[in-house]
Amino acid sequence: MTLPTDGTRRRSPLLALREVSKSFGAVEALVGIDLEVHAHEVVALVGDNGAGKSTLAKIVAGVLSPDAGQVELAGNPVTISSPAAANELGIASVFQDLAVCENLDVTANVFLGQEVRNRLGMLDDGSMEVETRRLLERLTVRIPSVRTPLRNLSAGQRQAVAIARTLIGEPRIVVLDEPTAALSVAQTGEVLTHIERLRELGLGVILISHNLNDVRAVADRIEVMRHGRNNGSFAASASHESILAAITGAA
Amino acid sequence: MNVIAGARDLVTRHLRESGIFFAFALIVILFSVLNPNFLSPGNLTNIILQYSYILILAIGMLMIIVAGHIDLSVGSVVALTGAVSAVVVIRMGMPWYMGVIAALVVGLLVGMWQGFWVAYVGIPGFIVSLAGMLLFRGMTYLVLDNVSLSPFGGTYYQVANGFSNGLLGGEGFDVFTVLIFAIAVVGYAVSQWRSRQGKIAYRQSVESIPMFALKIVLVGAVVMWFGYQLAQSRGLPLVLIILAVLIIVYTLVTQKSVFGRHIYAVGGNRHAAELSGVKVRRINFWIFVNMGFLASVAGVVYSSRMNAAQPAAGNMFELDAIAACFIGGASTTGGVGRVGGAMIGGLIMAVMSNGMQLMGVPQSIQQVVKGLVLLLAVAFDIWNKRRAAAAR
Repeated sequence: MTLPTDGTRRRSPLLALREVSKSFGAVEALVGIDLEVHAHEVVALVGDNGAGKSTLAKIVAGVLSPDAGQVELAGNPVTISSPAAANELGIASVFQDLAVCENLDVTANVFLGQEVRNRLGMLDDGSMEVETRRLLERLTVRIPSVRTPLRNLSAGQRQAVAIARTLIGEPRIVVLDEPTAALSVAQTGEVLTHIERLRELGLGVILISHNLNDVRAVADRIEVMRHGRNNGSFAASASHESILAAITGAA
Repeated sequence: MNVIAGARDLVTRHLRESGIFFAFALIVILFSVLNPNFLSPGNLTNIILQYSYILILAIGMLMIIVAGHIDLSVGSVVALTGAVSAVVVIRMGMPWYMGVIAALVVGLLVGMWQGFWVAYVGIPGFIVSLAGMLLFRGMTYLVLDNVSLSPFGGTYYQVANGFSNGLLGGEGFDVFTVLIFAIAVVGYAVSQWRSRQGKIAYRQSVESIPMFALKIVLVGAVVMWFGYQLAQSRGLPLVLIILAVLIIVYTLVTQKSVFGRHIYAVGGNRHAAELSGVKVRRINFWIFVNMGFLASVAGVVYSSRMNAAQPAAGNMFELDAIAACFIGGASTTGGVGRVGGAMIGGLIMAVMSNGMQLMGVPQSIQQVVKGLVLLLAVAFDIWNKRRAAAAR
């Protein structure tokens, strides 16, 4: 993967959503949403419950398809029809509470859906384990053994595994839906470090979170959503109050 | 790591699996003490012949349970496939293999039918197979016109009752049988050694050499003793060859194939699997097709063993197969269980039934004991999970 540096960043963003809308029956979840994500960038999506953040994430991840509007990847219009199609396009996602299989070990989780096969078409566990260790090292994740079933790991370690699995298959975009929601303070700190590592690796990251402190700590840009619409774009240095005002509609 | 510490490590790490193994060994020892005939060559042969079809069903059931479903229809499918085979062979006078093919085709169709409702309509397997249990039982009566068909005779009869004996001669025992078992032991040792070397190559931890050798020698000794017992009786049962091939193939499918890995993923967390790109519906469909196939194999073996197709054949087989899986360590919530475990679980049921029969224990008591064993096995599983959760 060639990593464009800041000076030579391409004109067209890695991922762009243009006028995307989605309704569930009479409920308008998204109304004409615009969003751009560049390489080497963490874009945070914030908003109150029901603002449409998760709907947007699911559209990018291929779980839902938009009713109207366009999704562009590196300037080319694409249709993301399924999670598998999203994977092929280089979009990887971590969903809150749904990310891992607790009965499988670390390696199996990291490679789930994208298993490496040997010449006989069977699972190549050996090379998958080596690759898993390499990925965990890149993210500076510490886990006793890649053969530990996930049910024996802490919540923070599980989230780290979920983030590590997004790196399989050289993705360009990573979507993280509330990755720190269920974590303790120390574990949250570790996960935020992993997110910074994703940016250093040259990926575009969409981070969805309720927690403004987390968001301000890692995001390059903060996009506020309210009632399914764009409601302001802020630099990470923007004041807590101004962002909060956009979220609640007080401004 | 010395041998004792290694052994302790192995036992504690695999408490659930080794627990079931010790339970099996204990039950075998108990019955052999209570009844000197229990471990006789003739009786060991009988156990295999009597329970092979339950073990075949348990393989398919294990995959269904791991994926988080249940199949209550397999007993009826055993009856239906046996009935179709009987109609083809006995009533229509076709050769034996046409009966086998007809049974397998019916089994696959039944599996596709149930897989369709479970995977693509989204009806729970419990309901679909409950309906199937009635449906296929009724169809069995229709196919057989409410009467038994017998005898198959000839080659068909040999499937479940035939032996390979005297191929290479031998004084008082069949050399060929012993040879097959010796090859199996060598094959086991080689594959274990290769997987150990592979683990070392990938910097994984392995058991120490003495521990490894002890394991190979112990397994080898038990297998060779068992083979020698069979060789002293009627030789190598053909059905044991069928069973061995199925166990090897399905162990590979569940542990080493992408399909198998995805079955575990679907059972562990269906949504995570789906979001990871696992084709959940396709997995659900094919495990039921596979169950239909294995039920038809069991149907052939059972009708061959009975030398007849009866309308009431295979009653309650589903419960024995399900019990074998749960005793063998499958989790009631899905995602956990192994083919090997289900086989041990099935053998525990088999050995208990056979042992109690030899001792003249009445059928009523046998049912009570088997029910309690199933309950305790699942209780142990739940206790073990709580312990693991508390230790975290």
